[in-house]
Amino acid sequence: MRGLFTSITKIRRQVFTEVARYAFERDLDNSDFNFFYESSYRIIPGEVATYRDSVFKERAIIRERIRLAMGLPIRPADTHQPLTKGMAESATADKLLEMPLINVIPFACEACATDHFQVSDNCRKCLAHPCTGVCPVGAVSIGKTASVIDQDKCIKCGRCKEACPYQAISRIGRPCAEACGAKAIGSDALGRAKIDQDKCVSCGLCIVACPFAAIADKSEIFQLVTAIRTGQTVFAAIAPSFVGQFGPLATPGKVVAGIKALGITRVIEVGWGADIGSLHEAEEFLRDVPDEKPFLGTSCCPSWAMFARKEQPGLANCIAQSHTPMVAAAQRIKQEHPDARVVFIGPCVSKKMEALEDEVRPYVDYVITYEELMGLFAARQIELNELKEAPLMDYASRDGRNYAVAGGVAQAVVNVIQETAPGREVPVMKADTLHECRKMLALAKAGKVNGYLLEGMACPGGCVGGPGTLSQISRASKSVAAFAQASSYRTASDNPLDQEVLPIAPG
Amino acid sequence: MANIIVEVCSGTHCVMLGAMNIIDSVHSLDEIRHDMDQCCEVEVRAVPCMGLCKGGAQGPFVRVDGLLIKGGESDSVMAAIMDRCAQSQDT
Ligand code: SF4
Ligand code: FES
Repeated sequence: MRGLFTSITKIRRQVFTEVARYAFERDLDNSDFNFFYESSYRIIPGEVATYRDSVFKERAIIRERIRLAMGLPIRPADTHQPLTKGMAESATADKLLEMPLINVIPFACEACATDHFQVSDNCRKCLAHPCTGVCPVGAVSIGKTASVIDQDKCIKCGRCKEACPYQAISRIGRPCAEACGAKAIGSDALGRAKIDQDKCVSCGLCIVACPFAAIADKSEIFQLVTAIRTGQTVFAAIAPSFVGQFGPLATPGKVVAGIKALGITRVIEVGWGADIGSLHEAEEFLRDVPDEKPFLGTSCCPSWAMFARKEQPGLANCIAQSHTPMVAAAQRIKQEHPDARVVFIGPCVSKKMEALEDEVRPYVDYVITYEELMGLFAARQIELNELKEAPLMDYASRDGRNYAVAGGVAQAVVNVIQETAPGREVPVMKADTLHECRKMLALAKAGKVNGYLLEGMACPGGCVGGPGTLSQISRASKSVAAFAQASSYRTASDNPLDQEVLPIAPG
Repeated sequence: MANIIVEVCSGTHCVMLGAMNIIDSVHSLDEIRHDMDQCCEVEVRAVPCMGLCKGGAQGPFVRVDGLLIKGGESDSVMAAIMDRCAQSQDT
């Protein structure tokens, strides 16, 4: 559940920690993956079920989550396969991840009813029963004890709900499907959630929406740790939303120090790549809008960009061509250090998808979330607070750091446009969550946003609301704002991007 | 006016298990307490690892006026605070 810490959050993080722990502790030449059987008992101890109807089922679900956290597919429930199947091969520093990234664990899914209107026992079968009178299709009738809605007739207009004086009618749907702006969630033969992979754009919001912890994404922590332990040079590129994610005592400098304590060589700010993106998008806007393209959509959120291209293929060329900040930063690292591995650390599941694209694969080796990083810290018992602050990065401008919050991207691009072409008016429209993005695209299709810069974000509030975050959105936004203010450069154009030093925190 | 001190462990283990959420929920009490005319002040302090996690115990750990709450969840911490407030009201 977004913004709340529940048993689900706890289980998810315990799984990351177990997998990270074994990744760090295992004998590299002689690993025994049966360790993970024990993990399921450590996470679900005792004989009595804590979370569901059966302790055995609880552990079975943990085991599938462990497989996903190892980057492996879940097992079919109808054939025998050992938990450890494929684990030896997954113990590599090479990229292992394959689609689908987002997985419903079918036997964890409670097959919630799909979107419908329902009468509760608040109904008093009142004399007036306005519910029947307002229904335009005659779907509501008065039954023996309460109103009854004929689901086949119901067109979901919601009038009965509004008319009821006892709030006895409510609209209920599947949390996963409601969260999915791409409308990718349907049902399997048993009524359980099933993701249509052609529609899914890997935003990951269903993962945090499901109250039964039935959905999880794959992780690359195991391969990352294997790279570290086999002595490879690993660079981390950390997204601008990282500040404030690791607790009130974990200043940005301490987080950087913590990442290095894991064995990562250097940490760079992806906000620097955001500055490059702002320059490109401003250039593209000034060059192409309105002559070549009626409007320009930002490209930093891969889920939004992919959604836009799928939803309105005719407008696909209006989404900026520039790579995401992650890719810009990773390319720069690989330019100077071709042999190094690059891990992107962010709030985002969507970047895991982007990193699987053919053009991106050579630059980004792994993508992990803040939550997964926290699992690594916990597994290594790294107390961020006790570390000496690593020298603060100063490679991203204020605007680049503000990419983390909704509105920040458009503002950064507008600032560059106006510096380049003073006096140029840039109308902006923004949408966060794919539900809102869909509406924005409809306006675009109708020609209502010509001349505009469109900012699309799959997550509520922008990246700070991503599925891999730990902090509440409002608190995280404040930390991001403070960190942005602390930059010595105001806009992307102030940033001396061609500075000789690689944009890497020294030391 | 009574001053209640809530120390929330903000070490790695406790943050991972929800310490930030506890801090948020303690702050969320301000409004309720205001409506209830409770006049005690609640001060939240994020403190470094209390060392309790290292022995294998499960956090997050919270102290409400010195009283240790182990494996605290938002609800138990909020309840402890509301209790303290009510007590200080009576005396
Ligand atoms: S919300 Fe969870 S339990 Fe309900 S249908 Fe979706 S995946 Fe299944
Ligand atoms: S992190 Fe809370 S006691 Fe160690």
